[in-house]
Amino acid sequence: MELVEIFALGMFGLAVLALMAGFPVAFTLSGVALFVAGTAWAVGIFDISILGAMPSRVFGNAMWNEILIAVPLFVFMGVMLERSKVAEELLLTMGMLFGQMRGGLGISVFIVGALLAASTGIVGATVVTMGMMALPTMLKNGYDPKLAAGAICASGTLGQIIPPSIVLVILGEQISNAYVDAQRVIGNWSPEPVSVGDLFAGALLPGLMLVGMYMLYQLILAYVRPESSPVVPRDDFEEIDGSFVLKVLHALLPPILLILAVLGSILMGFATPTEAAAVGGMGAILLSGLRLDEKHGKLIYGAGISIFLMLILANIFDLRLGQTVYSSGTIFGLILAFALLAVVLAGLAISLKRVYRAGILKDVCKSTMEISSMVFVILIGAALFSLVFRGLGGDDMVHDFLSSMPGGKFGAILTVMLVIFFLGFFLDFIEITFVVVPIVAPIILQMDVNPVWLGIMIAMNLQTSFLTPPFGFALFYLRGVAPPEVTTAMIYKGVIPFVLIQLFALVLLSIFPEIVTWLPSVIFDSHY
Amino acid sequence: MNGLASMARTIDRISEFVGNNVAWLALAMVLIQFAVVLARYVFGVGSIAVQESIIYSHALLFLLGSSFTLLHGGHVRVDIFYADASPRSKAVVDLLGSSFLLIPVCIAIFILSWNYVSSSWEVLEVSRESSGIEYVYVLKTVILIFCGMMVLQGISTIFHSILFLTGNEAAPQEETHEVI
Repeated sequence: MELVEIFALGMFGLAVLALMAGFPVAFTLSGVALFVAGTAWAVGIFDISILGAMPSRVFGNAMWNEILIAVPLFVFMGVMLERSKVAEELLLTMGMLFGQMRGGLGISVFIVGALLAASTGIVGATVVTMGMMALPTMLKNGYDPKLAAGAICASGTLGQIIPPSIVLVILGEQISNAYVDAQRVIGNWSPEPVSVGDLFAGALLPGLMLVGMYMLYQLILAYVRPESSPVVPRDDFEEIDGSFVLKVLHALLPPILLILAVLGSILMGFATPTEAAAVGGMGAILLSGLRLDEKHGKLIYGAGISIFLMLILANIFDLRLGQTVYSSGTIFGLILAFALLAVVLAGLAISLKRVYRAGILKDVCKSTMEISSMVFVILIGAALFSLVFRGLGGDDMVHDFLSSMPGGKFGAILTVMLVIFFLGFFLDFIEITFVVVPIVAPIILQMDVNPVWLGIMIAMNLQTSFLTPPFGFALFYLRGVAPPEVTTAMIYKGVIPFVLIQLFALVLLSIFPEIVTWLPSVIFDSHY
Repeated sequence: MNGLASMARTIDRISEFVGNNVAWLALAMVLIQFAVVLARYVFGVGSIAVQESIIYSHALLFLLGSSFTLLHGGHVRVDIFYADASPRSKAVVDLLGSSFLLIPVCIAIFILSWNYVSSSWEVLEVSRESSGIEYVYVLKTVILIFCGMMVLQGISTIFHSILFLTGNEAAPQEETHEVI
């Protein structure tokens, strides 16, 4: 092995070791890379001028990135929704709705998990809320603590695979770049672009499939071992009557409307993820404002409805400003549109005032800033790492290694999936996406692999890493809020069936890639 | 020791102040992007400068908010050992990490970016779009400010660690963070 190769490998090993110490990932990755680059330069095997590309990486990849600005917008929407207590309300009503069937509480956890995943998508918050609300109810009703813990962790991580998801935005951008690189190598200079929307569409069916598989597991368990998930006694319930139906609607309508507006507009091709995220953020502000004082909410309801009416109006009349001659229809439409706009602004102003006074707005903004900083500073750190790794010829090494895998394409993909799975035990999805995906994805994509399929396989793999003991984030978060009678060992044992379900789902996706590729091909007409 | 403590406090106050104000850019991004959506889909109008102001907000948000995030422990760590480590070992990790990883990296990015930023100033670089925002050179300068603020916050972390390890300061409080 040549010295330079030892450096490239050594850098990876050193980085993993250094990360274990627990200093922030962004600076550990880049610090190790800097140290290795300096040493390699000193012994004359590294061209230090490669680092000159760093500022344009910082500017071009992190700052001026029109795709990734969807990240802070989705974070804002998710955190704001979380503060409006959607999760709590959903858990209460769904638990009542399904409690009287066998395994019903488990089923309700999965349904709420899926609904939250499609609206807020914040994994930590979902696991924590469910751990505090659903777990005690399930335990009180005699559920097997292992099953309850596993179900909560698994449904919490759905936020990563069910669109719109922040993981898919970040991953989509990386896959898109990797696909362009790969196509250039094989001589195609104008490849069909891969969009984040493609990944969202590709992830929808696999995500729903996972929810279905979780539920199936719960139902089978409820019939094979009824003592694991008993029915909730009838007297614990409110009557199912008119007021209960209203409660259910009160809990269900906001997330469902948001899902339709945000995910719907992306999947129908009306809006980009960034645009949809801003509409979602606006919806979340309105909802939070409404929930703070339900009695005085007419204007806020009005604002929500007006947004829809304005969009409908624009389809009926030609409302474009700046025409030389306005028809009477346009003038009528414009007057209506401006009246609706006034309602939107008034409702928005009231909501903003309320969330600001309650201290929610400041909190949400700070959380958004912290998560945004965390993600994009890792991007910067990973950029330095990748530059040095490339400068040491690491890319070519990985390329030779993957190309020489027995089994060709299959062997290479399997190797990459295994590496990501094991890295997932220690690392976060953000580091894996920014460091590993740019190295391996272009190589795999040169082998005539569908980029959307590869993206979803990686996304589901990363989602699994949130569940794998001992370091999965979801377990860690549940541990923090679970009552003492639920031991760490119970949580670990409880998630194992769900990890197996995940792996089974990955196998299914490899045998039937159409589960991923069908929807994007129908919606966006994408064929790679 | 008192000198260290007061310097660390001053640095923390700067990060705190900048972060608290910059955080509002998150709201600005949502509102501007929403306005862009309405303008485009309802009234059929658009402005490249407004579109670019969202990108500016995003860049300022994460770059200037980064030292606040470091101060509040928001930059993600690998928690395997760190989470259960004693306050002393945590302080040692932070001391060594800031000295040998964070600060060298930020100084390196500063030096590497210097020519990039100054050549942007020489031509007073504007947007590639003809009606875009004309302050690209100002935006690029924020890379240098980011590096400077992070070095300062790194120094503050080192001071806090030394003060804690020598028994002159209590251990920092743990904060909880959203996981996406």
